[in-house]
Amino acid sequence: MKLSLREQYWNLSILGLVIILTVWRSNQLPVFGSYEIKTIILGIIPIALLAMGQSLIIIGGGINLAIGAEAILINCITAKYSEGSDFATSLRWALLGIVISVIVGAVTGWIISKSGIADIVVTLATSFVLIGFALFIQPGPGGGVNLDFAKYFIGGEDSYLAPLFVLFLPILLIWLPLQKSRLGISFYAIGSSKDAAFLSGVNVARTRVSLYAVGGLFAGLCGVSLTAITQAASPFAVISNTATLNSVAAAVLGGVALAGGVGGLFGPALASLVLYYIPTIMLGYGIDPAYSQIIQGALTILVVLVGGLLRARGKR
Amino acid sequence: MGNLLEIRAVAKNYGPVVALRNANFTVAPGEIHALMGANGAGKSTLVKILTGVISGDAGTIKLNGEEIHFTSPDNARKNGVAPVFQDPALIPDLSLRRNLRLTNTNIAKFEEKIAYLGLKINLEEQVSRIELPILRMIDLARALAHDPKLLILDEITAALPANLAEVVIRVMNEEKARGNSVVFISHRLSEIGEICDRVTVLRDGIDVDSFNTSEGDEDRIVSAMLGSKITSAESKNRSASISKEPLLTVRGIKDGDKLVNIDFEIYPGEILGIVALEGQGQDSLFDILAGEVSAKAGEIHFSNKKVDFSHPADAIKLGISYVPGDRKTALLPQRSIRENLALTKFRKLRSWNWINQKNEDSLVDKAVSNLEIDTRASSQVKQLSGGNQQKVTIGRWITTGFDLLLCFDPTRGIDVGTKNQIYKLLSGLSAEGKSVLLFTSELREVQLVCDRAIVLYNGKVQGVFDAAKADEELLLNAAYGRN
Repeated sequence: MKLSLREQYWNLSILGLVIILTVWRSNQLPVFGSYEIKTIILGIIPIALLAMGQSLIIIGGGINLAIGAEAILINCITAKYSEGSDFATSLRWALLGIVISVIVGAVTGWIISKSGIADIVVTLATSFVLIGFALFIQPGPGGGVNLDFAKYFIGGEDSYLAPLFVLFLPILLIWLPLQKSRLGISFYAIGSSKDAAFLSGVNVARTRVSLYAVGGLFAGLCGVSLTAITQAASPFAVISNTATLNSVAAAVLGGVALAGGVGGLFGPALASLVLYYIPTIMLGYGIDPAYSQIIQGALTILVVLVGGLLRARGKR
Repeated sequence: MGNLLEIRAVAKNYGPVVALRNANFTVAPGEIHALMGANGAGKSTLVKILTGVISGDAGTIKLNGEEIHFTSPDNARKNGVAPVFQDPALIPDLSLRRNLRLTNTNIAKFEEKIAYLGLKINLEEQVSRIELPILRMIDLARALAHDPKLLILDEITAALPANLAEVVIRVMNEEKARGNSVVFISHRLSEIGEICDRVTVLRDGIDVDSFNTSEGDEDRIVSAMLGSKITSAESKNRSASISKEPLLTVRGIKDGDKLVNIDFEIYPGEILGIVALEGQGQDSLFDILAGEVSAKAGEIHFSNKKVDFSHPADAIKLGISYVPGDRKTALLPQRSIRENLALTKFRKLRSWNWINQKNEDSLVDKAVSNLEIDTRASSQVKQLSGGNQQKVTIGRWITTGFDLLLCFDPTRGIDVGTKNQIYKLLSGLSAEGKSVLLFTSELREVQLVCDRAIVLYNGKVQGVFDAAKADEELLLNAAYGRN
């Protein structure tokens, strides 16, 4: 796809910010080698995957406040049933977890389409339901996964190739084909103008179900990657809520318009790096985590403000 | 030879509101068929059923003698029925190429049709950056690229500049020559007789008349639409009564390459018409006078004082009110007629003053009855027909009071009856000594309501004419830069 000029500028600005923060972070560390790079990539994989899922849903004119809960649920399911298992079992549960997440997403989309109730209301409700299920399956922190299986995510000792693959494979295998397909264009269409999309022959209800299903696919990947990276699960609403809010922040920082129809998945993936760096760098200085939250929020507002001003100028 | 399209006894209700009672409509192959009706007659509902946007409650649709039920616009398109709506059905945030992908339109064929329409288009252009008239043409090219048997053009010529309207008419005639049919919906009566073979008139959801254009004239259409004869607004002739001191003087206004240099004046009690093809700077002129945009150069004098607006509120305070071309931008669609009519009154209140409900009620009631606003579907303004919405946008300024009314194409897409009411309204205002600056895309309105007219061309005043002498031919020539 040819990115619009606006998207190119936006992505470049975020890339610039990421480079600055990377240099900053690398100066904090005594050594900055492949192990440190690997740590960073492992740190952003879950945020990036969730951000991509959320961004897609926002592009399609929705928003999913349950996306963090979806990921946590899959995290709990896969960690519980993969604990102490062999490779094949872990793989089977990972695949099953992703399928469950896709179904959960599709059902969410279906409820929204059928009921006509706003996305934000329906998904707020489903987030409680999903966290309830997660607690039911895995009442406290625990679980595990086959280590050979986890190796495919975390890689060998000092190699960051495997995590890099995990990060880029979804973009290559899901996003690139999707945004060229009629389904992908339909996502943009219903996010931009439901009426015009309908008149153009898009089945709006069915497209919305697919939209939430693909969002669920990303949430499922996030859940499985959490299991592989942490080799455990924690069924806590705080974690899922923070994850959801981060996914929205990354989408906005990454140039996705909350009104729908505008943006892509590269920007949010990059933006999730920013969201990872800020608390990490602050922590490196020994600054209270509360400050990093303030800075993260302020930065989000600043970026959106600058973006809004640039857009207003572009329209003149 | 059988009919291409045959609609029998179609009905549609929206809750208690009957949109279509019993509509019959047939289109023969190779025919241009005009579908007429006042606002609220059921025209758009019939078009929506015909194009698969909604489905009817009763009745049958036959295409080529076979009964058919369109489930979606896509389905209708595949069956050879292609609509072009007044609001183009293109996704604003997507490029043209991706829009065409969405409708499975053959790109090569689309480009061929674009060339056939005499346009140049960049397929990577984002739709939201393309102007409305061009978008309509693009929508037409897309419809043509699907090789339709039946083309439905809903108000396509409304607000289309004369040169593009000519292209549309040429296309219709060539479709006809190829044996295809066109359903043509327009409020411009003069077009009907020239272009169409047959006319069907709807009133209150029933087809009240259907005849060959050779058998009847505009008067027959109008009387069928209204159910009774109405007198057209009499053309006026009272420029002599206009005083010598201008109310508004515009000198050397510039705005980039949109307005090169504009000079004119309006006198108290005068209705000054502005005529121009699409994109000759009229939008920019109205925005400047309404205080939405500042002029890059030049002076505006109002009541002998030099004025400088930094916000529409400045212009409103001085007594300049703006009725924009897009009614949706002027109204609060989800609120009631009452609130919309009273909205402009509120600026006279301090922020925390009580609203005097009794006072407001009587004012609003007066306005509603004066303007003959049809309040049947009354709870929200968005449920009103276009004509009634327009009356609300003008009416709210009447409840407030003003000296100069800027009207941008107020009768666009409005039926004849309502148009005449608006003409009467404007004439009445001028009789009270108020001035009106009226941009119109319908040339005959100049002689119907205006005292004088100025023609804009390429951001300049091409000519100033007395309305009495400004017939359509003269105006059109000037609008094309010839005189």
